[in-house]
This record gives sequence, structure tokens and C-alpha cells, in this order.
Amino acid sequence: MAARDFFVEVAGVFGRWLRKTFRRPSFVFFALVQPIVWFVLFTQSFARIADLPAFAQYSGGASYLTFFTGAVIIQTVMASAMQSGIGMVNDIESGYMDKMRVAPIHRASILLGKVMSDGVRILLQSIVIIVLGLVLGVTFATGVLGILAILVLAVAFGIAWSGISTLIALATRNAESTLMISILTTFPLLFLSTAVMPRTALPELVQNIVPYNPISYVAEAMHGLILNGFDYWTLLGQAFLVILVVGALTLTGTTMMFRKAVSS
Amino acid sequence: MPTPANRGVETIDNIIEVKGLVKVYNGGIRAVDGISFHVERGEVFGFLGPNGAGKSTTIKVLTTLLQKTAGTASVDGLNVDSDAAAVRKIIGYASQEVSVDDDLTGRENLRLQCMFHHLHKADAEKRINEILKATGLEDAADRRAGTYSGGMRKRLDLATAIITRPKLLFLDEPTTGLDPQNRVAMWEYIQNLNKEGTTIFLTTQYMEEADRLADRLCIVDQGKIVAEGTPASLKAEIGADVIELALKENGETSARARARSMLEAVQGVQEIREVEGGVMVFAKNGPSLVPEIVRRLDSANLPIAQLSLSSPSLDDVFVKHTGRKLRVEEVKAPSRMPFGGARRRRRM
Repeated sequence: MAARDFFVEVAGVFGRWLRKTFRRPSFVFFALVQPIVWFVLFTQSFARIADLPAFAQYSGGASYLTFFTGAVIIQTVMASAMQSGIGMVNDIESGYMDKMRVAPIHRASILLGKVMSDGVRILLQSIVIIVLGLVLGVTFATGVLGILAILVLAVAFGIAWSGISTLIALATRNAESTLMISILTTFPLLFLSTAVMPRTALPELVQNIVPYNPISYVAEAMHGLILNGFDYWTLLGQAFLVILVVGALTLTGTTMMFRKAVSS
Repeated sequence: MPTPANRGVETIDNIIEVKGLVKVYNGGIRAVDGISFHVERGEVFGFLGPNGAGKSTTIKVLTTLLQKTAGTASVDGLNVDSDAAAVRKIIGYASQEVSVDDDLTGRENLRLQCMFHHLHKADAEKRINEILKATGLEDAADRRAGTYSGGMRKRLDLATAIITRPKLLFLDEPTTGLDPQNRVAMWEYIQNLNKEGTTIFLTTQYMEEADRLADRLCIVDQGKIVAEGTPASLKAEIGADVIELALKENGETSARARARSMLEAVQGVQEIREVEGGVMVFAKNGPSLVPEIVRRLDSANLPIAQLSLSSPSLDDVFVKHTGRKLRVEEVKAPSRMPFGGARRRRRM
């Protein structure tokens, strides 16, 4: 009975967040307009990157558009993950968090239902990007199986990364600060990784930073799956290991902060 | 008042017992400063006091949202700290800031609440329809709550608090921000709920509200209970009529003090309190004293701007105990932002 109750609670919270997501006009922007802008504008302006010898060597002749698909997925996932905390802050500010806390529900349901809905949102956004890529002529070297692996990678990474935003949100309890810190961390990390450029084509200084940036490992795995599928297990294994470590840190931190927030 | 159905059946007569409750926030603000009271099963119990008196803090301790600093508090015989999970099953709570989800429809808001209370689906749907009808939200049930008026949102919020038929309902300032018409409708609704057997603990800063709804009430100020009793007994305690005098501004700073000393000598005056803009005179046979009061102030060159005579109100009780008036804010429609994204202020 208790297990059934818990399931119903999580389903309730999960359903609430999904409805909220799809009823907001901003979601359509983040899910559709932003990837199109990235895909179309960015790859047009930077198409000549494909002529760089260092790039051609890495990509094996693929276009910058194809290479950039992984970057668009990562950027969108990071931006989406950063929204997670905002919802939590809004609930605290509006008093809805108190409404849930007065209800006889397990505290974990509030967090679990939210995380699950974040995962579904990220999955849908990633599917949109892949479809968009296919329409624009991107080919996926590893085929359907590779696309499934990319989706799993994107969702796992997104959930792990959303922990950072929720952590900031619970610490600051302020939507503006959460958004600001999120943007300030997303872009430097993206550009100091191998997401937008192969490692060999990056300046030396950035090349030295790359191995310490978790985004690089996710990017390497994505690029590998999209471009050639070589080194399938090593790259993918490394990426999942990094995600696991990041996820364990952020979700543990989030759970602790959340416990503190709901107990006092 | 206990209804015949529950009288004698229950062994615990008081559904709430609070002794020596203290809540000190981080930073040292002593919001609740050692209060003790009880709420009897079946009654409407009120906490009347101005903003910052500690009303919301007390409710948050009793609804398990806040941990107390000291004292004991039990709800239906359950300790609010150690039995918090059991307490949550039997209470309903509508906070001061309306907390409905603006992106969900009225029906979805209610359905979610039913899921949180583990109601079976068929029971839940039946109950949702009942409550939508009772709160007059039937026609708006499938519209997003963000499109509702202030009064409708407040009613939906109340509906989510009572959908599971709680034994004990906490209402934190249920009519703050409502226009007079919605306020009267809310009063009637609260009275009906009580008639059906729900014990209600409500806080308010409106004395008419406490007077009309509460079977018993505590007047609270700065974290302390200053008076306790039925509205009638509290007013009777004054035992006098109240003559309120507003003095005309003439630049004289000692006008109130002079008026006070002039009037203290009037035969029959029991007490005089200086309040903002004038003085309040408590006296038996108030009407017969009015001519004398006017004459004295006139001869002392203290022009009167306004004079009113009334039988005592709860406001007068508050003045008598604290020396201040209960400042009642203008009732304004709550300001709303487009898309229902209004940020409501947090209160302690």
C-alpha cells in the first residue's frame, strides 16, 4: 500500500510539471526556436571551419553542420537543465512548496517527480534536434542504435546537470540569481570543451583545460557516435562515468539542500 | 461548539493544545513569545492581531511547516514534531498567499490534491465535482487558474484545502485581499463548513471577521496573547461605551495630553487612551457625557474634528490592551501580472 501511495504521489508531481512545461510558450521557444537558430545561423557563419586541416582530420570529411549536431544537443540540454531549479524557486516563493509539504506525501516524491519530468523534457528536446538535423542533411554514422545511445546520453547528462541548477536554486531561493549563475556557467564550459571544435583545432590554452571539463567527455562521445562510431565503448564508457560522478555529486547535494529546505 | 455527534465520543476534548510556544527565527526575531491556548473540537477559533503579531508563525508550527523553538504543541493528541506525518493526514491548510498552480485548471489543481491524499480515483472525481459546485467554480473548472479573478483563486485554494474533508482546517487570513462582496461569501462558506463538523482555526486582522466567525478568540500582539475569550465576553470586559474623539490639527503638540487631562475630570469617565489623531474615552452612559465633553474641550480651545459614540468592539478591546488601534488596510484587488505570474510576497 505504501509503495502504491508513493507511486501515485510521484505520478502526481511528474504530471504537474509536464503540464506546466507544455503549457508555457517559453518551452516552444527553448525546444524549437533556439536549436534552429543555433543550427542554421551558427553553422552557416562557421561553415568554413570544415576547411581547417585539423578539423578535416578529425571529422573525416564531414560538414561542420554534422559535427555541430552534438554541440546543439549539449547546449540545449544544459539550457534545459538550468531551468529545473527555477521551477523549484517559484514553488517556494508562491507557497506551493508549503502546500505540498502540508500534504501527507513522502518528501522524496516532490524531488523525484520533478527530476523525472526534467528527464522527459530533455528527451523530447533532444529528439527535436535530431529530427531537425536529419532534415538539414546530418547523417548519423552509428544509425538508429547510435541515435538511441545519443538520447540516453543526453537524458542522463541532463538529469545530472539539472542537479546543479536545483542546488543553486535551493541555496539562493531566488529565480534571477539561479538564471544568472546558470548562464555564467553554461557558456564558458561549453566553449572550453570539445563540443564546438575538435581538440586539435583549439588554442593550446583551451586544449589544456579540456580534459578537466566534464562537458568534453559528453561531447567526445556524441561526436564519436555521430561521425564514425569508432572507439564506441571507450568514449561512451568515459562519458557515462563522468556523468555518473557529476550526477552523484549534484543529486546528493540537491537532496541534502532539499531536506534542509523542507524541514525547517 | 461541539456538535452532538462528536460530543462524548472522543476522549480528547481539545483538538489543539499549545503550551509555552516560542518560535525564534534565525537572526533572532522572536515571532512567537511563549503563548498557550487550546482549541475545542468543533469550534471556530480565531487569532486576531495586526501584521507581525505571530499569527502565521503559529499556524506554520501547528501545520508542521516550521519547527518550534520551545514549548509543546499537539494536534488531535499528536505531537506536531514527532508525529508530523500523522498530523498532515488530518489537517487542511490554506495559506495567506494563495497557492494554487496557475498553469493547471481548477479541476487539475483539485485532482492533484486528491492524489497527494491518496483518494481513490472514483471517490476523488465525485468529491471534485461536489466541491467545484459548492465553491461556485463549476463553470470555470476546466480553465487555467491563472485566468481566475482574485476571489476565484482564493476559493480554489480553500477548495484544495478541504477536498479531503479534514478534521481540522487552518485558514491564514482567509479574506485578506478580497473585496467586501467576496468577503461575505467566504464568511458564509466558512460558517457552513463549521456546521458540517469541521473545526476551524483562523487568523485575521479584521475585527468584524473575528467577531462574526469565531466562537472563541485570542487577541495577539508582538508574539504574545493579550486577551482571550468569546467575542461577547471580551467586549463585555470593557463594560463601557466608547467615545472616539479626533482633534483638529492646529499645530499644538500637546493637544492630546491636554485633552486627556481636561476629560479625566469628567464624572463617569473610566479610562482615557491617547491614540493617533485624538483620544478614546471609555465611559458608562456615554451618551449623557457627550455635551460635557464637548463643552470642556471647547473651553480649552481644543476643536473637535470628529466625534463618534459606540458600544465596544473588538478593536476597542485591542486598544485597551495594547494602546494601539488595529490598523486595517484598505481592501484592494490584488495586483496581477499577465500570464498569472504574479509574485506574491512571503510572510513569516
